[in-house]
Amino acid sequence: MAVQAAHAGGGIADHIHPEPQGFIRRYVFSIDHKIIGIQYMITGFVFFILSGLLAETIRVQLMNHAGGFVSNDTYNEVYTVHGSAMVWLVIIPIVTGGFGNFVMPLQIGARDVAFPWLNMLSFWMFPVAGLLLFSSFLVGAPVAGWTEYPPISLEGGVGTSMWCAAIFLIGVSSTLTGINFIVTIMQMRAPGMTFTRMPLFVWAQLATAPLSMVATTALAAALAALFIERQFGVPFYDPTKGGSPVLWQHMFWFYSHPAVYIMVLPVFGIVSEILPTFSRKPIFGYKMIAFSSMAIALVGFMVWAHHMFTSGLAPYLQLPFMILTYVVAVPTGVKIFSWLATLWGGKIHLTTAMLFALGFLALFTLGGITGIFLAAIPYDLHIHGTYFVVGHFHYVLVGGSLTGIFAGIYYWFPKMSGRMMNETLGKWNFALFFIGFNGTFLPMHWLGILGMPRWVPQYDPQFEFWNRFASVSSFVMTFGILLFFVNVIWSLRNGKKAGANPWGARTLEWQLPSPPHYYNFKHIPNVYGLPYDFSLPLPYKGLDEELTDSPAPVPAGSH
Amino acid sequence: MDFAVLERSVAVVGGVLVAFVSAYALYKDWKTPGLDNQVFKVMLFLLAVGAVLATLAGLGVLGNFPKAA
Amino acid sequence: MPHGAVADPDEGQVDQLYAETRQLRLQGFLLFLVSDVVLFSSFIFAYLYLRNTLPAWPPPGINRLDVGFAAFNSVVLFGSGVTMHYALESWKHGKFARYANFLIATIVLGAAFLAGQGYEYTNLYMREHVSWSGSGAFGASFFTLTGMHGFHVFVGVCYLTVLLLQSCAGVYTKEKYFGLTAGTLYWHFVDVIWVVLFSIFYLI
Repeated sequence: MAVQAAHAGGGIADHIHPEPQGFIRRYVFSIDHKIIGIQYMITGFVFFILSGLLAETIRVQLMNHAGGFVSNDTYNEVYTVHGSAMVWLVIIPIVTGGFGNFVMPLQIGARDVAFPWLNMLSFWMFPVAGLLLFSSFLVGAPVAGWTEYPPISLEGGVGTSMWCAAIFLIGVSSTLTGINFIVTIMQMRAPGMTFTRMPLFVWAQLATAPLSMVATTALAAALAALFIERQFGVPFYDPTKGGSPVLWQHMFWFYSHPAVYIMVLPVFGIVSEILPTFSRKPIFGYKMIAFSSMAIALVGFMVWAHHMFTSGLAPYLQLPFMILTYVVAVPTGVKIFSWLATLWGGKIHLTTAMLFALGFLALFTLGGITGIFLAAIPYDLHIHGTYFVVGHFHYVLVGGSLTGIFAGIYYWFPKMSGRMMNETLGKWNFALFFIGFNGTFLPMHWLGILGMPRWVPQYDPQFEFWNRFASVSSFVMTFGILLFFVNVIWSLRNGKKAGANPWGARTLEWQLPSPPHYYNFKHIPNVYGLPYDFSLPLPYKGLDEELTDSPAPVPAGSH
Repeated sequence: MDFAVLERSVAVVGGVLVAFVSAYALYKDWKTPGLDNQVFKVMLFLLAVGAVLATLAGLGVLGNFPKAA
Repeated sequence: MPHGAVADPDEGQVDQLYAETRQLRLQGFLLFLVSDVVLFSSFIFAYLYLRNTLPAWPPPGINRLDVGFAAFNSVVLFGSGVTMHYALESWKHGKFARYANFLIATIVLGAAFLAGQGYEYTNLYMREHVSWSGSGAFGASFFTLTGMHGFHVFVGVCYLTVLLLQSCAGVYTKEKYFGLTAGTLYWHFVDVIWVVLFSIFYLI
């Protein structure tokens, strides 16, 4: 029968594995969630650098209205792999696999995730998928854009099939991580940590995990069908053989719209941790922020066809999708206003992490508002497939997700490494990134309204000024991001010792030494309240020995 | 005997049998607790539904389409 | 180390650990089945969508599928679901011989279903000239979905055989038999998917 008292003693919480010795088991094929989380981040940032270079290739090509930096075919390959890699190999793995793995088990007071071996397996699918995707350049990369609409994606060389396989693999990894996280959060919380006492980052992961699980599996079906159509000529999407290209669009967007929430919900969680910590105020509307994550996840499944207003959808189908898309704005607005109210009257500490979190608030709100524009059918008909769309989703994914990722790294880096990051470099990083970002992507909105189509290697000379402006700004942004990497590497060697809780934060991970021990907690604590009440004593009992030299817990028989 | 008649007869008899046995198993298990047993009950119910459908198909009530010309 | 109120520390630790681990695995396995349901649902959506876009179904030149044989084969698979249910019940009541007989019956019925599927594929291919890639959306959706399901049945037959060997080797006890529960869940899942596939391909 089900065991209700999850940590009554003698159970998983007291079952501690001995720490593995030897480099390979410790840092390469590790089953420790903290190591796996950091592995996800490092791998994700390697792919971030690669696809960032592809982005700069795009910007250099567009400096001149006649193009000329790379050939048209190469240009198609470049933007396709850039988009695919940024979505599947950078943002999704870092926000779910990276932050989720490192932070979530610590915040719920668990020793690890529910299935550590499965976690390792999920991670190792990720670099393999990345190599598969990037090595497609050797044989002719996919050219149909990251959405890979048929019939273009049915043509071309083996590269598109490699794309299918790579995304399928990363999808399986994402599904398994989703399953792992749901079971972990449902079953392995410390005693006393009820659902309404969970940190908001955990809530965000709980909202994201079902999305990664369900939506990604739907994408797997679409990819499998595309793969067998390309390799075996089985007609799913080819209209000349009885298939339907619109079917791909349905299946693809049924995944890829929830994927936007997979990319941004964990970041909402990161921001919800950072804002109260650096305002020294309880978070405003805890339950509303928590439940609105769930609402976004739920409604997110019912809006996919707003990407397809120009695909010949029946008008009576278009209208509900437009209205449901507007409905998503309600829980999102609840979050934004709750965060603003958290800041209101707080004692704001402008650390780099806080700057990035505030930057996230501004940029994500702009991206969200242009999303409302795009969901309006009449406006979308005008703007579909133009640079307005490119501007919109870069505000959501770079201004939203990536800014949040930087905020999270500046916030949790001391916990991961035991050292502080350099604040001066960090502020330069933020300033250059923020200015460069807006200079790059804001002009894209008016380029789009004027009619510049996306995915083109040459364009009308009238758009040249703003394209050059965007390209120069993107160099500024890239330099800002370069400072981030400099900062990380410098701080790993020379950063100040962080101590357990440099920010004065109140969630469980900050009550442990930095970096935490292999077994996380000497004793699993009891939880008595929300972690955000800054005027009250900490709501935990049983943490007294964590920062002392008392002996580590004894591993129960190894097996 | 015609093979088509044989397979339909087996489908009808077997379908009735399976539907009854799974309904009986569902009835016996009705009050078992636990997540796994709850899922088993849903599965048994759907199994009974499937057996009924197969029976009706065997009888020619369902899926009895005229042969294409 | 605190062991709660359990009298015998070792005994208590193992059982509590087993109970909690079992709960984790059960939830994880069920979620895996849910994601598999989503995979099938996506292909079912694709099939219904393609069917809906075409003016006639089946497309011209292709006959309706043979309901009679499919009903027979379905009953074989549904019957294996019932035998699997009673295999697990027998195990719970400690009747090993009964359990083994029911499990073997399940494996045989599952294999018989696969054979029937093979017979149907051969028939379609040889007599009706319906193929995976050459019959438009009809062949694509039918062979992909039933093939995917057949693959799941094949995996299930292998899985149940492994369970049979494991239980003969004494891996499971009367109290600790999560592997058998998981196997039963998986087998029921395979059956229930077939209820849906049978309805949408043969009955509508």
